[in-house]
Amino acid sequence: MSEHATTVTWTLNGKQVESPPGLTIMEAAKLHDLEIPNFCYHPGLSIAGNCRICFVESNRSPKPVISCSERIAEGLEIQTHSEMALEARNSVMEFQLINHPLDCPVCDKAGECVLQDHSYTHGPDRSRFEENKTIRHTKKLGSTISIWGNRCIVCTRCVRFCDEITGTGELCVVERGDRSVVDVFPGLPIENSLAGNVIDICPVGALIGEDFKFEARIWDMKKTSSVCAGCSRGCNIEVQSLDGFAKRIVARENPEVNEWWICDRGRYDYRYLLAADRVTDASAGGEPIDSDTADSSLNDLVSENGGIVGILVDPMMTCEELHLVNRLSSTLSDCQVAAWSTADGEAESFPNGFTISSDLHPNRAGVGAIIGKDAFSTVAKGLRRSLDAGDIDLLIVFAGFPHPDLEKKWIESIGKAKVRIVFSLQSGSWCEGADLLLPSTAPLEKEGSYLNQDGRLQRVRTLIAAGQQPFPSELVRLQALLTHLGERPRSVSSSGVFRELASSVEAFSDQSHSTLGESGCVLSSGKSAVGSMGGDA
Amino acid sequence: MAFKKVLTRHVGKKDCHTLKFYKKQGGYAQAEDAVKNQDPDALIDLVKASNLRGRGGAGFPTGVKWAFVPKHTDKAKYLVVNADESEPGTFKDRVLMEKNPHLLLDGIIICSKAVGIHHAYIYIRGEFVFAYRRLLEAVEEAYSDGLLGKGIFGSNFDLDVTLHRGAGAYICGEETGMLTSLEGKRGEPKLKPPFPAVEGVFGCPTVVNNVETLANLPYILEIGADAYKKIGPEKCPGPKLFCVSGHVENPGTFELPMGVNLLELINKHAGGVWKGRSLKAVIPGGSSAHVLHADECDVAMDIESLDEAGSMLGSAGIIVMDDSTCMVDALLNIMRFYHHESCGQCTPCREGTGWLEKLVHRIASGGGRHEDLQLIQDVCDRMVGKTICALADAAAFPAESIVKKFPEDFLHAIEQGGSPASRNRSRAAVGGGTDV
Repeated sequence: MSEHATTVTWTLNGKQVESPPGLTIMEAAKLHDLEIPNFCYHPGLSIAGNCRICFVESNRSPKPVISCSERIAEGLEIQTHSEMALEARNSVMEFQLINHPLDCPVCDKAGECVLQDHSYTHGPDRSRFEENKTIRHTKKLGSTISIWGNRCIVCTRCVRFCDEITGTGELCVVERGDRSVVDVFPGLPIENSLAGNVIDICPVGALIGEDFKFEARIWDMKKTSSVCAGCSRGCNIEVQSLDGFAKRIVARENPEVNEWWICDRGRYDYRYLLAADRVTDASAGGEPIDSDTADSSLNDLVSENGGIVGILVDPMMTCEELHLVNRLSSTLSDCQVAAWSTADGEAESFPNGFTISSDLHPNRAGVGAIIGKDAFSTVAKGLRRSLDAGDIDLLIVFAGFPHPDLEKKWIESIGKAKVRIVFSLQSGSWCEGADLLLPSTAPLEKEGSYLNQDGRLQRVRTLIAAGQQPFPSELVRLQALLTHLGERPRSVSSSGVFRELASSVEAFSDQSHSTLGESGCVLSSGKSAVGSMGGDA
Repeated sequence: MAFKKVLTRHVGKKDCHTLKFYKKQGGYAQAEDAVKNQDPDALIDLVKASNLRGRGGAGFPTGVKWAFVPKHTDKAKYLVVNADESEPGTFKDRVLMEKNPHLLLDGIIICSKAVGIHHAYIYIRGEFVFAYRRLLEAVEEAYSDGLLGKGIFGSNFDLDVTLHRGAGAYICGEETGMLTSLEGKRGEPKLKPPFPAVEGVFGCPTVVNNVETLANLPYILEIGADAYKKIGPEKCPGPKLFCVSGHVENPGTFELPMGVNLLELINKHAGGVWKGRSLKAVIPGGSSAHVLHADECDVAMDIESLDEAGSMLGSAGIIVMDDSTCMVDALLNIMRFYHHESCGQCTPCREGTGWLEKLVHRIASGGGRHEDLQLIQDVCDRMVGKTICALADAAAFPAESIVKKFPEDFLHAIEQGGSPASRNRSRAAVGGGTDV
C-alpha cells in the first residue's frame, strides 16, 4: 500500500464510506457498525473462508464474494442485503442446518450459539431436507473437552487455534465431505494449557466443556466482568454464575492483555470457592462465634493493643483492601506492614505470544505500589525477625490464597505473635491457635481493582449479589475497624475507598473505578510502581 | 494436411518408454536447445504465441500462466506437475506416463528453463502404480544421463524432479488442493488470491501444469507457434488426447487434432455405440461436465465450441451412454462419487453433495416425488459458484443437466417405483455407511 493512501473510499449499501486501507470487507464494515454474519472467521485466527455465511454482493464479481477474505478497494461497491447477498447467505444456512441435529433444547451452547443467531436471521423456517441425517461421533478429545460431532459445522476455528495460537496442533478434521468432523490423533488428546479456549470459540455446541456440560442454561446465568486472579497477568474473564455459584469462567476480550484467550487454570480454577476446607465462619480460640461477636472481637483486639503491631498482607488482596490496611497501619503508633505469597508456579509461553506468569498472584504490583516496594523483601525480613524475637504483640495475617503453598518458616514465625488475627480463605496451620479467625473473601468475591504485572489497573467484580454475602468482606470489616478507631465516619463502597486511594497514592491519582472501564488503564507511573519487586523474605 | 500423432506416436512400439528409444526418435533435442540456447522470456513468448491451453480441465493459456510468476524473487520457484488424473472418464495422462514418460520430462525441462525453476514435483495419483514405476525409471534414467540434476546437458542449469504419490483423494487434483497435499497437509483447496503463481507450494511461486500440457511443449518448440496454431482451431490448437469410455465398441485414448467432431470421434475412432444400439447421451469432458443429449453431439471438441454447446471440454473424458441407460442410475453413480470426494471444507459443497446423492438415491429406489426434481435444481443453484474450488460446480453441473435433459427417466422412476435397476435388486445403503 502506498504511503499516500491513508483511506480507501468505497460504497457500503449505497453509502459512500472511508476506511483504512488493507482491511477486509468484514473488518471495514464492522468499523461502520455493520456486523456481517460469520462462523469460521475469528479476529485472532487466520482466514479460512470455508463457512461461506459472510457472502455479500460486489460490483467487481458476478458471484457473491466472502467478506472475510475480500479486501476493500477504491470504488468497490458492496451490498450486504441485496437479493443476491441474502439468497447466498440463506442458502448457506439451509445447508448448515440439513445435517444439524437441531438439539438446542439439550445443547449447552443454546442461547449463545452463532448457528441459532444466524438461523434466526437467515435460516428457513422449515427444512426441505427429508433424508436421513449424517451421524458423526461424540467422544472425549481430552480430559476437559468433548466433541459432539453432529453439531460440528467444520469451521476449523478450533483446529486453527491449536495450530496458530498454542502451536500444539492436537486437533484436526478427519473424514471428508459431510462426514468431516473434528478429532484428535489416536493417543494424543488435547491437553494443552490453553485448550479450553476452543470451547469458547466454537460457534456451535460441538466442543463442550465437560466441566459445564448440563450445568446451566446460558440465559439463566448472571454474567460478571472480572479479572482472573490465577497469575499476575490479569487476563480478562467473564464469570457466569447461577444463584451465587460460579458455573463457568470464559475469556473476555482485551487486546492489551489476553486478546481473546485465557488459560485453563484461570478457566477451571474456581472450585476452591466451595472447597471443604474453606473458612466460612469466624472463630475465637478454635470456638465458632457469630459474625457480630467476631466484629466486636476484632475491634477490641486491635484497639486494646498498645504494643507493636505487625500486618502481613497477601497479594490476592485488592488495591482497595491494601489501602485500608495502610490507613489502619498509620493509625497505630507502632506498626509495620509486610507481605507474603505462595511459591511460584510454572511459567509458560506460546508461539502467538500468550504467556502464563509464574507469579500466581494478581496484585503483587498493587502491594508494591500501595504498601511499598520492599514489602516482600526487607520489610518482610524485618517483621519475621521481630516475630522470631517475640517482639510482636499483635499480628494481623491475611491469607486469601486459594492454593496456599506457604513457607514453613513463615508459619512458625506467625505462631510467635502474642496475639494473632487471621483472615483466611482456607483452614491450615497458619490458622491454628489464632486468637481470632475470620473468613476471607476469594478473588471472585471481591469488589475492587488489581494492578497487573505490566502496570495495568483493572476492575474485579464479585459474582455475589449485593446483600447475599455470607459474611462481611475484608473491605467492610476493615472500614468498621477504622470507624471504631475513630478514623472515618462511615463505610463506603469499594469505589469510594478507591477515591481515597487515588488521592493518597501518587500512582493512582487521576483514576477512578469509572475510568478503568471494562479493559483497565495503565497507570502513568505504573512502571516505577511495578519496578523491581523483591522476592519473599 | 493429414494429422500426424505427436504425443502418442510411438505408443505400442517395443520399449517406447525407455530413454534409449525416446532419444533415438530425437527426444530431448528441444529441451537441450532450450536449456543451452534459448532466452527464458522468448520461450514464454513462444508458448504464449502458440495459444497452448491447459489440458487439465480449465483450459487456461499456459504461456500467460507462466508469465504470472514473478521474475525477480528471493524465493525458490517450483513446478508442480498435476498427474493426479482422477476425473471420472479420464485416462490420458496415464497413457503418457506409462508409454512415453520421457516426453513429460522433456516438457518439464522446457517449462523450468522458461520460468527459472530448479525443482519440479510430479504429483502422481496414488492408484497409478504402474505409471509411477515407469516414471520413476524414466527419472532415474534421466538423472544418470545428465538430463536432470546439476548442470543438465552440460550447461549450468540445475533441475531436480521429485515424484510424489497422492493418497487417493479426487480433491488433490484441484491445483491448490494438490499443493496443500504436497505440503503434507490435509488436501484442501486454498483461498485465492494469492494465486499459486505468486504464492503456491511452501509459500513460493509455483507453476501448476497438467501432464499433457507439458507434453505438448517439445512439439511447439520443434515446429514453432505458427505451425502449431494451424492444428485445430486457432484459439485452442494442438494435438489432443481424447478418452472415450462407456458404451462404445472400441473404447480408449485417441490422439486427434483439437476440434474434432464428437460424433466422428465416437463413430469412426471409437467404433460407434456398442451392440448396435443408438446413442442416448454423452458426457464430453469428464463427469463434471454438463451432459449432452444425443441431439447435441454434433459438436467440435474444443473449448469454445463446447462452451457454446453448454458443456465443457474439461479433461476430454468422453463417457458415452447408449439407449438402454437409465439416467437416474447414471446420475446416482456420479453423485455418489462427488459426495464421497467432497473435501468438506465449504458448507455448500459439504452438505450439497450429500443432499444430492440422497435425493437421487431416493428417486432411484422408488421414493421419489415430482417436486424432488425442482429441489435438485434448487440445491444445484445454491451450490454453483459458492465455494473455494469448483468441486461443488462439478457436482451440480451433471445433476442439473441430466435432470433437465432426461426428465422422462426421472418421471418414470418416480411414477413406476424406482429405476429399472433398483427394481431388480435391493440397493446398498447410501454413502459413508451412515444412512441407517
